[in-house]
Amino acid sequence: MAAVLIAILSLTVLGIPIALALDRGARGPLLIGTAFLYGSGAVFLILLFVPWKLPLIVGVALMLAVGCWLLAVQKRLRPTANGQRPTIVDLATLISLAAYAIYATLAPLWEWDFWAIWGLKARVFFEHGGIDWRFLESRWNAFAHPDYPLLVPLNFDFVALIGGGWSDRWLGILFIAYAVALLLIARALAARETSALFAALLTFLLSWIATSRFIGLAEGALIAFGGAAVLFIRDALRRDDAASWRHGAVLLGLAANCKNEGLALLVAVTIAILLLAWRTAAVSAAGRAASRRPEGETPSAQPARTPAFRMLFRLWPSYALAAPWLILRAMHTLGSDIVGSHAAARLVARLRFTPQILGYLATKLYHPWFWVAILVGVILMPRVRERFVLLVTAIQVVFYISSYFATPYDVRWHIGTSWPRLTEQIAVPIAFVVFLALAEIVRRGEDARDAEARSEQQ
Amino acid sequence: MSARRILAIAALAALIILRIEPRLLSVPFHRPQLARAYASFADRLWPEYPRFLEGVRAHTQSGDSIAVVVPTFDWDRGYSYAYYRASYFLTGREVLPLSDSENHLQLLNFRSAKYIAAWRTEVPRAHFTVVWSGAGGVLLRR
Repeated sequence: MAAVLIAILSLTVLGIPIALALDRGARGPLLIGTAFLYGSGAVFLILLFVPWKLPLIVGVALMLAVGCWLLAVQKRLRPTANGQRPTIVDLATLISLAAYAIYATLAPLWEWDFWAIWGLKARVFFEHGGIDWRFLESRWNAFAHPDYPLLVPLNFDFVALIGGGWSDRWLGILFIAYAVALLLIARALAARETSALFAALLTFLLSWIATSRFIGLAEGALIAFGGAAVLFIRDALRRDDAASWRHGAVLLGLAANCKNEGLALLVAVTIAILLLAWRTAAVSAAGRAASRRPEGETPSAQPARTPAFRMLFRLWPSYALAAPWLILRAMHTLGSDIVGSHAAARLVARLRFTPQILGYLATKLYHPWFWVAILVGVILMPRVRERFVLLVTAIQVVFYISSYFATPYDVRWHIGTSWPRLTEQIAVPIAFVVFLALAEIVRRGEDARDAEARSEQQ
Repeated sequence: MSARRILAIAALAALIILRIEPRLLSVPFHRPQLARAYASFADRLWPEYPRFLEGVRAHTQSGDSIAVVVPTFDWDRGYSYAYYRASYFLTGREVLPLSDSENHLQLLNFRSAKYIAAWRTEVPRAHFTVVWSGAGGVLLRR
């Protein structure tokens, strides 16, 4: 257990200067939450490129930390709202986290996908003393999904390097840390928009969603990195805040290194930003044209291109962080099972079974009444203000459902074994925005409707 | 109070209440039983198999090739479990399957493996040396 705790502490300490380099004003829960995630991402990149000798790894990590620290102190400090005073509701969150902590550490990690995929690769790499490309390239090991990104296995290996040996007994603690990091970030971001009580209630709600039941799989990490990335980019779009852009872009790139669904999330965010930028440009172009247009002429909907490019450019860290694994994967020809040969043909062939597939997805939905409540919330809330998260969620759901049409496996088996996990991956951001919007209606009553009308006009 | 506000309160309450997991909250009260159940969860099919694999690991070296023989070669009825589990316990060695997901026998792997790890299955020993036996199985070297 000591090795995992020391690893988590080390990752957080390593991540603090990185978090401050990206956001000099980060403090409190936001700083701690982002620091752990950045430490986890930094160790992944170090182990991807640096030979696996602990002194060398520590040396590179120290150089990175000092470099980021020097970068951070050069920046001007801009105070940011990063948290709020604790409330009595936070005690309930602690109870939910304590129950999860006991669950995550009940036994050596038991999930099939841990010892056949994520843990297997970590253990192979640890014994090999680095990434074992021969293992990944062997056709006999295709079951271990060699194309899956390696952030989580390399986090396991960091623990093994600190412990001086492989042990899967306490690795579940890492999954508590991923969840806590996301909750700290969500709490700090919620505190910028709502009262302490509602921020605490929202954190309590998220404490049931951010805590993945699939201990040992990359789900927990993807929920944390992907959820935090989407929430930061939403904050960046809302306040046009450069620090939130940087957080969002880096976390999104790291999410792409957790699972292939993280890569899909990067694409979904890119499409959502393009659509939003196009609409914003179209609206402003129409506004400009209307002010100049001679009477009787129809408005032009040609989008201006600059804002989209500027917003997309802010995502460059995401692509830069996703690139190394994609390049290595291509160099070693590690194919993906879903988009492998004849994927398009399978997709087309299954289109006639669309009602059956969608019906089966509905029956296998995890917490269906929660999703009904989310839908009711979406109907009630001012949707224009939350277009980004709604779009990202919708695009990601389309990607997920499409994968069932293209899967080389039995569709029912594939849905049964993955759909509950996939829906949990996207639940945090949508729950966050729906909760905040409903809280706003509750807090401000009729004023909220006026605010909605204002935002509709923007 | 407007209908919209009342609905918003109801939706907020529903969001929170519907996500609470009573089963997770009950975990602390049943920890010993659950710990036992989860510890044996991965090997509920063949509880003794991991002990056999640990023995195989102790009697082989890194880089050795090992083919796994278990009571079934049917991929979905136990062989995939046996092969994946062996891959996890025998990291550093090259574990070779004798069947695949199409249930095709891979006899070439049997011929090329340095060791045969046979669990609860009789294997002709004419061309092999018994390296170790225990936990319901035997490790043979070619």
